[in-house]
Amino acid sequence: MIRLTIDDQEISVPEGTMIADAAAKLGIDVPVYCYHEALGPLGACRMCLVQVEKMPKLATACTTAVAEGMVVHTGGAAVDKGRRGVLEFLLINHPLDCPVCDKGGECFLQDYTFQYGPPAGRFEEPKIQKVKDGPINEFILVDQERCVLCQRCVRFMDEYVGEPELLLEGRGVETVVATVDKKPATSQFSGNVIDLCPVGALLSVPYHHKARPWNIERQESVCTLCPVGCTTQTTGRDGHIVRVEGRPVPERGWGWLCDRGRFGFDFAVNQNRLTTSWLEGREEAAARTTRQVGQWLSDVIAQYGPDAVAFVAGGLHTTEEAHQLHQFAREVVGTNRLALSRDVAGYLPRGLNGTFEDLTLADAVVLVGTDPYESVPVVHLRLRERLRAKRPLKIYGVAPRSLTRDTLPVDSLVTHVGEEAQLLAAALKRAAAGHPAVAALTRGLDEAVGVDEDQLNRLGDTLVNAAHLTLLWDGLEPDVESVLVALAQVRQDKPTRVLPTWGPSNWRGIERAGFPGRIDALTEILEDARDGRIQMLVLWGADLIREYPDQALVRQAYQAVPLLVAEGLFAPDGSESFLAILPQAGPGEVAGTYVNMEARLQMANPSVQPPGQARPTKSYLASWAHALKKPFMAIDDWDPYDDESGDLLPAEAIPTAVKPVPARALESGDMELFTGVLVIENGIPSDILKPRVPAHPGRISAVDAEKLGISQHGLIKVSRHGEEIHVPVSVDASLTPGRIFVPMGLKSSPVNRVGPGAVEVARIEEVHTA
Amino acid sequence: MNQSFYLLRNQEVPDFDQFDVYRQHGGYDALKKALAEYQPEGLVDLVKQSGLRGRGGAGFPTGVKWGFLPKDGRPRYLVVNSDEAEPGTFKDRELIERNPHQLIEGMIISSYAIGAREAYVYCRGEFLEGYEQLSRAVKEAYAAGFLGDNILDSGFSLNIFVYRGAGAYICGEESALLESLEGRRGNPRLKPPFPAVAGLYGMPTIVNNVETIANLPPIVTYGAEWYASMGTEKSHGLKIFSVSGRVNRPGNYEVPLATPLRTLIDEYAGGMQEGRTIKCVIPGGSSVPLLTPDKLDTPLDYESIVQAGSMLGSGGCIVLDDSVCIVKAAHRLVKFYREESCGKCTPCREGTYWMADILERMEAGLGDENDLSILMDVADNINGKCFCPLGDASIGFMVSAIKHFRDEFEAHVREHRCPLGAKVYDTANY
Repeated sequence: MIRLTIDDQEISVPEGTMIADAAAKLGIDVPVYCYHEALGPLGACRMCLVQVEKMPKLATACTTAVAEGMVVHTGGAAVDKGRRGVLEFLLINHPLDCPVCDKGGECFLQDYTFQYGPPAGRFEEPKIQKVKDGPINEFILVDQERCVLCQRCVRFMDEYVGEPELLLEGRGVETVVATVDKKPATSQFSGNVIDLCPVGALLSVPYHHKARPWNIERQESVCTLCPVGCTTQTTGRDGHIVRVEGRPVPERGWGWLCDRGRFGFDFAVNQNRLTTSWLEGREEAAARTTRQVGQWLSDVIAQYGPDAVAFVAGGLHTTEEAHQLHQFAREVVGTNRLALSRDVAGYLPRGLNGTFEDLTLADAVVLVGTDPYESVPVVHLRLRERLRAKRPLKIYGVAPRSLTRDTLPVDSLVTHVGEEAQLLAAALKRAAAGHPAVAALTRGLDEAVGVDEDQLNRLGDTLVNAAHLTLLWDGLEPDVESVLVALAQVRQDKPTRVLPTWGPSNWRGIERAGFPGRIDALTEILEDARDGRIQMLVLWGADLIREYPDQALVRQAYQAVPLLVAEGLFAPDGSESFLAILPQAGPGEVAGTYVNMEARLQMANPSVQPPGQARPTKSYLASWAHALKKPFMAIDDWDPYDDESGDLLPAEAIPTAVKPVPARALESGDMELFTGVLVIENGIPSDILKPRVPAHPGRISAVDAEKLGISQHGLIKVSRHGEEIHVPVSVDASLTPGRIFVPMGLKSSPVNRVGPGAVEVARIEEVHTA
Repeated sequence: MNQSFYLLRNQEVPDFDQFDVYRQHGGYDALKKALAEYQPEGLVDLVKQSGLRGRGGAGFPTGVKWGFLPKDGRPRYLVVNSDEAEPGTFKDRELIERNPHQLIEGMIISSYAIGAREAYVYCRGEFLEGYEQLSRAVKEAYAAGFLGDNILDSGFSLNIFVYRGAGAYICGEESALLESLEGRRGNPRLKPPFPAVAGLYGMPTIVNNVETIANLPPIVTYGAEWYASMGTEKSHGLKIFSVSGRVNRPGNYEVPLATPLRTLIDEYAGGMQEGRTIKCVIPGGSSVPLLTPDKLDTPLDYESIVQAGSMLGSGGCIVLDDSVCIVKAAHRLVKFYREESCGKCTPCREGTYWMADILERMEAGLGDENDLSILMDVADNINGKCFCPLGDASIGFMVSAIKHFRDEFEAHVREHRCPLGAKVYDTANY
């Protein structure tokens, strides 16, 4: 620790700390533009000048590391003149168009000028003119005249994200921030540069000229569009959310968002959003539909008993809403048929659930099935940050495709579809064959994994011997759970932590509220429904045709159930089967907590009122309890937080039972179909993000494309077990020949109709795009 | 005047850039001697004893710089800075165009001394001829076995790469040079770490000026004592001065340090052209303050020039005569820095723009009474507050010009015209 004095206050900080950060610890504000702790020192803006005793010149607080006995003055005549000079320089070519600038009122150039700047300008020469409101991409504008060239945006994209799509062009006073070759930036982290920009140079297109800081109200919230649960700040104006920004949380995150989360807030005002209800195919006042559903409930229970009613929770509901629904279903209705909507079959025991800190601490990360860039983007950024730390890190990938990217070097083991568990078990067997858990796991294991033996040994060695192992798992292969349990036993005290990357984003919270988390409960309900044992099926935010892995079963169940009721932000697929559809009050409209993939509870404050007749869960339940003539007092003070674990869900013991990994039944077909999550295709529509939705989301290798006669894009027919889907595909150079990737949840190409595995493939047409 | 040639031997021997001619006059013998008679540490000591200081401008002792390399087994690089773009300086240009083999020989000796296996020359983009000459000379050196694997059976191997910049003055700053050499935008890097610890590709790197390295063969040949015998106690050896302006024989002159400025101008450069008198002299390239004629007897060594109020710099000696308008000269130089500022840090980027505009207006007869105080204040806001030395370099001449020729600046404002210029400014159409 280094001891130094800043403005007569003593402080001890670790060696290598910059004066600016040491001062911040003392609550002393040193103005900065270019410096950002996540990006490290640059020294470009010269705003943070301070006086260090015994140094001949003023020093920049952001680039000067502390030294023992250093005496720093952050004020004084020389410092004040230096800062005043820098601000005067920054303003000479600045357009001073604050009255029409979105940043006006929340701008560091305004704030620092007010605090430190000269009272009037002396510059009388012509100002340099540059591009105003030029495009970075569909979501971001650049005003080069307002730019102070702090380089935060350029450095973030280049060094932090690893996608150098922004650069400095020109030199000297002509320098501007621009995109490479004037092409729009495609990175899905591009929106962060808006938050990073200290002035009004990088602007959000959806927020452009929409509001001033005194028209808006900001609320701390949480993004619910994927299981990462990034902390956000929503801007509400006149009953609409008009902007989402990242919200840094000390010690936990810098507040980065992906573009999906930042710009996807407009689902709330989507034209298809339910704002009234539907009753037997007709639009109807929600109050009337609610009363009708209450009547049905009462009738079904009276005639068939409470177990003839089933509840499936999902979607974007808060933990508290799920708890109210659970309480209602159990205590008021009295049914035991409860389930959580799931789109993958895997399950992760709470005891194995890791946190993002496990990514920071890990010396080895294994990606099982999942490509974090596509499924949980900000986790990809966290991995990038971990890579930037100089400590060694091994990253392995076990999936039917290579998971390595320019931004994230992954030692990728490409499996056959459905053989991730087998490969992991085989690797484990090579490194710890003698362990009873491994013996149990690999009993009867088919050894033909088809992967390079060296690579397998390396993976096995890492799995067993890494000091801190963190895995990401997409949950598509349920057998992986057993591998993880065995792995934890083999590794004993060495941490083995897993981050589940599947949705719905709050599945842990809904589970915490009492709904069984495993898919079996849902499958049982659907089978019971199909077999006529369920009279009334209530889907709370769940869209099973889209989500459940076996679409045929869902369709059969829908046909067999006499009374199908749904609540949600949007009408579920197959809505013609539903007798009643009720509008949901969604994220940003209700207060509550969401549990993310870390099993961490995060509170969200509402920004706006629900639109139209959309209502929170409790009001529907209260109405139905009334119809059932039973008391229902939703426990308002139910607290999902735990005394011991704070904002994490209570810890549980890691299970010990290890099931053997079953041998794979070999199928034959033209190609192997596999699936995965694209966060852009998660079923929540966004008009703003339309340009980012891929027109040809399916992917095939160049080799297969040539075989099928497709040069870049095409439409192909994929069939399996007598079911067929049409998939628009594009060529993906990273894909292994013989594989076809179709993301989950595509409305027009539902992969859950055919399921993963061997498929027959035929070309329908080649598509030429401009 | 007693001119002898150790660096600019091409001025003495015709076709000295040709490999055979160079060899006939003892070329590469110093290399043979260095490899045969010296251990690398011995060469570093030799350079330390010779008192050789960096000839690029800063004058840092070369041997001491070499001693900063960490001994941690990482690869090391030698980078030769041939991005000579300082107005008034053209010594490296003559060396690479007319005496390229001496630089290459010096690079091999230096690389051997510091343990580098790869060496780079970063050649200014505009020096096409120099680049071609160097590239040819490197090829010849390879062919003769002076480069490549196991040079002269010494077990020492070296590869030299000649790289041509894209035309930016800032890339003469060593860390910006390294950025550019690595293929990035030529912006200066944060120091520390210094290049000796983390330079090219993050490896320990020595960046030396062309002239510095060209000194190595004569030092090895004639010894450290010979070299140290020239100059003063702190400024040893030889220095090339590039003399320009209205002198009779502008050009490069190789003189022992501490030669008086007057001797350089009157004897070497042949004195002023007929009818011209000296108004002031910029002794060390455009980045340094000017010296007035009363300082002409200043010995040209690092310490004496500082005492006289300027710096030795790169040795670009610009002689301004009585026909020069000091405002116009200041404008021209500040404009140069405005064009060459990389734009990274605020004071340099904006300050040079502002100063150049004011000076242009003043020279056009459109100055007002506040301009001089604004100029001095802007210069003060640049001074010592920039990321790299370019900002400070931009104000050196202008501030000294205002100090010594304040009357002339004030006359421009007062008379709304340039008192020296024959041209009558058309203020209406300005």
